[in-house]
Amino acid sequence: MRRTEVSHLSIASASSRAGRLAACLIALAAGLLCSVESRAQGAALPDWSGVWSMVGGTVFDRETQTGEGRSTTPGVREHPPYTPEYEAKYAANLVLRDQGILPDPNSLCGIPTGFPRIFNLPDVYEFAVTPKQVWIIAENGPNVMRIYTDGRGHPPEEDRWPTHTGDSVGYWEGDTLVIDTVSLHSSEQGRTFVDRTGLILSEAAHAITRMRVAANGNMEVQMTIDDAKALKAPWVVTKQFARQAEGTRVYDYACNENNRNPIDPSTGWTFTIGPDGKIIDQKPAGDAASEQ
Amino acid sequence: MASAMRKLMFAGLAVLSASASGHHSDAMFEHGSVLELTGKVKEFQFTNPHTWLQVDVIGEDGKVVEWSLEWGSPNQLGRQGIRPSTFPPGTAVTVRTNPMKDGTAAGAFLGARFADGKTVGNWQE
Repeated sequence: MRRTEVSHLSIASASSRAGRLAACLIALAAGLLCSVESRAQGAALPDWSGVWSMVGGTVFDRETQTGEGRSTTPGVREHPPYTPEYEAKYAANLVLRDQGILPDPNSLCGIPTGFPRIFNLPDVYEFAVTPKQVWIIAENGPNVMRIYTDGRGHPPEEDRWPTHTGDSVGYWEGDTLVIDTVSLHSSEQGRTFVDRTGLILSEAAHAITRMRVAANGNMEVQMTIDDAKALKAPWVVTKQFARQAEGTRVYDYACNENNRNPIDPSTGWTFTIGPDGKIIDQKPAGDAASEQ
Repeated sequence: MASAMRKLMFAGLAVLSASASGHHSDAMFEHGSVLELTGKVKEFQFTNPHTWLQVDVIGEDGKVVEWSLEWGSPNQLGRQGIRPSTFPPGTAVTVRTNPMKDGTAAGAFLGARFADGKTVGNWQE
């Protein structure tokens, strides 16, 4: 196992830290094990306590919010910058979404929403900062994402495998947490979608996420996602989270407690269960759901 | 019971109530249509991932039809002051919903008004 030792250098400035991350990423691309530095010893960690709630709706690209074909109109959507192959795949998913038959595993309950969707959920969040890890805790799901900030790097490629939230290591650049995420599931294998419009990324996806409390007091999460297979250029998405009133509580989210809108995985149809436990609505007519 | 069900057209209400869209597709609801139903609360299921208000509505043929109205998560609604006791069983209530497209006795809950004029959720006179 080769290791590029970049984790024990003396770091004097934010820019040099950024340079080290860049060196680290180059090392990763070359198949080397790499570490990013932990926060300077004794430096205070930022106060991200309390409860937060995402600002805006639960789709990444707001132009796809209303559906009904508008989002598939060329030139309407700004992001993500898909390759023609993946543009066609996403457009096909939007059609299924408009028909109500997109087989979104999130509706099944019990399957993590994964990254980056974990930053795109309703209900509330907690951002738990500890000396060696940061935990993104979403009430919805619930979903948890762990970011190691103790100076470790990603495991070598032969020791990691795709998961919903991937493998995340981070470091502090002042009060900004910089996160490097790899080893994500492809969203083409039925395990996940990036959002409920059917947004997709491939297994080649890699993200640099910057988290900080912005001047307006909101938590700002800027994700820069590159994907050599699916994207022509990095896709930059920024989500904001507003701090909730002091004393706000977080509750259990037991998705299977009374899920009256499960999906049929074979057709993607989200059906509705009545008070007697029986399906009460009808499959959409004249589409794939009724033909399978 | 006269006029237990009527269709309204409120542009401001023709949207899915907050959070009811978080967990699953909402393509089954007719968002441009608002239906007003008058009946009695049968049950308020204060459960995850969505709450459901069950309302018994007497149809024009005199038969009782149980409507299933889906609302937000109990967590989110709980933080907004909604409680399991908000809809006591047997209480007379008028509710507004974006109904299901296929005519099923179900829909996305928008708001409710009790006999004493108290309202819950999204309700505009």
